Amino acid sequence: MKSTPLSTSESALLLKRTVIISIFAAVAVVLSIVESLIPVNMSVPGAKLGLANIMVLTCLYFLRGRDALTLIVLKTVLTAMIFGTFSSFLFSLFGAVFSFVVMYGLLKISGKRLSLIGISIAGGVAHNIGQLTAASIIFKTSSIFYYLPALLLTGIVTGILVGIAVKYLVSSLSKLSLFAGFTD
Amino acid sequence: MKRGDLVLISVVLVAALIFLVPRWVEGNNGNDSEKNHKSPLVATITVDGQVYKTVELTKEEQIIEIKTDHGVNVLKVHDYGIEMMEADCPDQVCLSFGFIDKHNQSIVCLPNKVLVELEGSTGGENQDEVDAIVN
Repeated sequence: MKSTPLSTSESALLLKRTVIISIFAAVAVVLSIVESLIPVNMSVPGAKLGLANIMVLTCLYFLRGRDALTLIVLKTVLTAMIFGTFSSFLFSLFGAVFSFVVMYGLLKISGKRLSLIGISIAGGVAHNIGQLTAASIIFKTSSIFYYLPALLLTGIVTGILVGIAVKYLVSSLSKLSLFAGFTD
Repeated sequence: MKRGDLVLISVVLVAALIFLVPRWVEGNNGNDSEKNHKSPLVATITVDGQVYKTVELTKEEQIIEIKTDHGVNVLKVHDYGIEMMEADCPDQVCLSFGFIDKHNQSIVCLPNKVLVELEGSTGGENQDEVDAIVN
């Protein structure tokens, strides 16, 4: 492939994207750590606040789908390294990617019928379904789906909270010059 | 929030209820007979897909230690149920399952590949015959 030199505006855009993705990935990792420090006992096994999803959804809002996918892979690899949970690496990736596919698809299909809150609920619920599916494949049993209804309900609640956070974050970030070219 | 959001929330709620309602009905019908019969459940513990041990859930306390290459898990049987007491896995999700004592409930420790499933004779006497099958 011949490498054509990028024009100044193109390379500036590329640089901005890269910077945004890396900042978001760093924040997502920090949010995962913060989340693990908060002792929330929701009495539902596997239920999480899903704070890192704030960054994924914000990334989806400003940038392209493949940028958000890069963010997810970065975030999952980094958290696996920090927590030392490589055994469940594929498992987390499965949930995260499934959640991403659903959110990306809904953003494209739904047009303006769903707000960020709706997208975030769908993403949270998809994350739970993805993880349960991964677990049921690994253990070759469907008995884990016993916890699906409870996870669906917690998914709605955490999805609403995450969605509200994304709304505020998006409106504040839109005022920054770094994001000026990406708002539409 | 838009109307689409509310539709989405209702769909998820309905999906959750579809799973939950039969369980409640079953639980209410089954509870009385279950208490009368006191038929103990059996916990099947598998590690990495291989059956590690099966234990009958008794009222008396039993401590089960699972030591494998994947890690160490400590289970405790008491009051016709079972509970994960300790685990050396990094995420500790398995401890959040708490005490389980109902048919079809399970405990999973993903990093250590430990799965505990409760099966039992809630369906009646017919199920006892299955015990004869040997792999």
